[in-house]
Amino acid sequence: MAAAAKQALQLARQLFKLSVVDGVVSADRVAGVLEYVEKHLPAHSVLTLKAYHRLIATEHAKSEARVEHAGAVTAPALTAIAAAMSKKYGRLVTAVSRANPVLLAGIRVRVGDDVYESSVAGQLAALSLSV
Amino acid sequence: MSTVLDQIEQQIAKLSTKAVKKNTGNIRTIADGVAKIDGLSDVMYNEMVQFPGGAIGIALNLEESEVGCVILGDVSQLKEGDEVQTTGKLLSVPVGKALLGRVVDALGNPVDGKGPIDSKETYPVERIAPGIMARKSVNQPLFTGIMAIDSMIPIGRGQRELIIGDRGTGKTTIAIDTIINQAKINKVGLASDDAKFRPVYSIYVAIGQKSSNVVRTVAALEAAGALEFTIIVAATAADNPANQYIAPYSGAAIGEWFMENGMDALIVFDDLSKHAVAYRQISLILKRPSGREAYPGDVFYLHSRLLERAARLDGKGSLTALPIIETLAGDVSAYIPTNVISITDGQIFLETDLFNQGIRPAVSVGLSVSRVGSSAQIKATKQVGGKLKGELAQFRELAAFAQFGPDLDAKTKSQLERGARIVELFKQPAFSPSPIELQVSILFAMQKGFFDPIDAKKVVAAAASMKTFFTTRKDALLTEIRTKSALDKDIEAKLEAACNEWKSGYTA
Repeated sequence: MAAAAKQALQLARQLFKLSVVDGVVSADRVAGVLEYVEKHLPAHSVLTLKAYHRLIATEHAKSEARVEHAGAVTAPALTAIAAAMSKKYGRLVTAVSRANPVLLAGIRVRVGDDVYESSVAGQLAALSLSV
Repeated sequence: MSTVLDQIEQQIAKLSTKAVKKNTGNIRTIADGVAKIDGLSDVMYNEMVQFPGGAIGIALNLEESEVGCVILGDVSQLKEGDEVQTTGKLLSVPVGKALLGRVVDALGNPVDGKGPIDSKETYPVERIAPGIMARKSVNQPLFTGIMAIDSMIPIGRGQRELIIGDRGTGKTTIAIDTIINQAKINKVGLASDDAKFRPVYSIYVAIGQKSSNVVRTVAALEAAGALEFTIIVAATAADNPANQYIAPYSGAAIGEWFMENGMDALIVFDDLSKHAVAYRQISLILKRPSGREAYPGDVFYLHSRLLERAARLDGKGSLTALPIIETLAGDVSAYIPTNVISITDGQIFLETDLFNQGIRPAVSVGLSVSRVGSSAQIKATKQVGGKLKGELAQFRELAAFAQFGPDLDAKTKSQLERGARIVELFKQPAFSPSPIELQVSILFAMQKGFFDPIDAKKVVAAAASMKTFFTTRKDALLTEIRTKSALDKDIEAKLEAACNEWKSGYTA
């Protein structure tokens, strides 16, 4: 099982490399990879596709600023966030917004593994940990 | 005034809207106190990571697509998909004198129910050992209070002396005796006006032991009045392997605080065999390649980096380490025992056979050695016990030879009789360490032949009688030996007179 997972991960990495053009995941290339997998059905194809999915999702998350907010966020604010993140990470970052009332007030921006917390819920969580 | 208020309000507004950056990941798998995490792309090696519910983990495996973390604390509430975040900090424990008399866990949290610990400082758990230039040679004694050890295998401040033996041979007892003896010396020293006196604080690290054993140890230390000079770091068998793995490093960090601040400390690691087993468990779950006896390749470094932190520093204090290793059927050539033997500055080997014969402490004189201790021995002990090790070795050889035939010459007979008396003299009950001046007095009496007319089986009782005689009636002489640390002609004459006085009043 471990050997199968390793083999699947190796193939997924190769497919992932083929899917990235100039540091950005290309939708066309991804479609091509999926077509190839469907046609040839490599060994452990489900494992391979799961690993491939994880790699693509991780890479995609690096190019997307997910803005969670409690309250309204204007379009110019989203544009400003996208511009700031693009500058910070040195790559094109697009911003998508999602309302999250759990935050109580403020916003939380997630780019890849990084989270920029400026919400009341985040501050309360930090406070509860420090007490 | 309104301008000032505006400024403050602006400052508050700035602070309250300031975003906090966190690097996060998600638990992919979790088993046996080890979590595999997706994400955490900014995590450092050995960095603390925060799990939901307040649990803390340490990043031990940084791989291309995941991070392997050991979790310190309760893992029962954690589940796949939970968010984990980096802290930017290395694992640290509280240090300082506020910990004295307390029982803490591997993270320095109190577990004795005596309330919070008011500690002002923290030290990182993992630290690089002092370099060559910062060190000073070991030449100050650290008395264990055990006559067989102080006279033949002396330990110095800053030394690493291994205590090794099978289970149930009295390894922990030797360590506890040493801690009790430090407390006794501290009390006498602090009560005296000696400005040069340096107390020794003790740290006892229990790794993978039964909780009942730890309770017994605490009770023994408390009964002997030694707890006030001792810190106990407990990672019992009920704790997860990560806590057992980290506990000796936490203890070392606590000890280093004393060393760095010009004080002397003693640390007991009880025991490193269980520590290696805990580390093996973690390593296997982290899928690190295993080697001999399934231990990972860095198991030597695991102990060498820990024991190298014990040192005597130039212009500062010292940290003396007494690691304990449990052998199986006396096999000192197993993997972990040989590793630790090669790291330490000597070993006290305890034999099951001797223990079963009633020779306690069951120190095997032939296999025990102190590589730096003789330079740390006081002159008085050297004067009365310098030849003891040789005499005992000769006795063991002759005793084996004498089993084959009764016809022995007078010299051999006297050597055998002297040897039998030395063996009896070194018998000492648990938790009753003897002050060095008393040891010197007893050894002086033995060298001068005061025990020769006494039947070998009654030597223990005679020695106890002599100890009582000296402590109750010759306190001034004992104080003189303690302060001078050497026997001059005057003291020798007084000792001889005192021995004669005891002899005249003693009836076997």
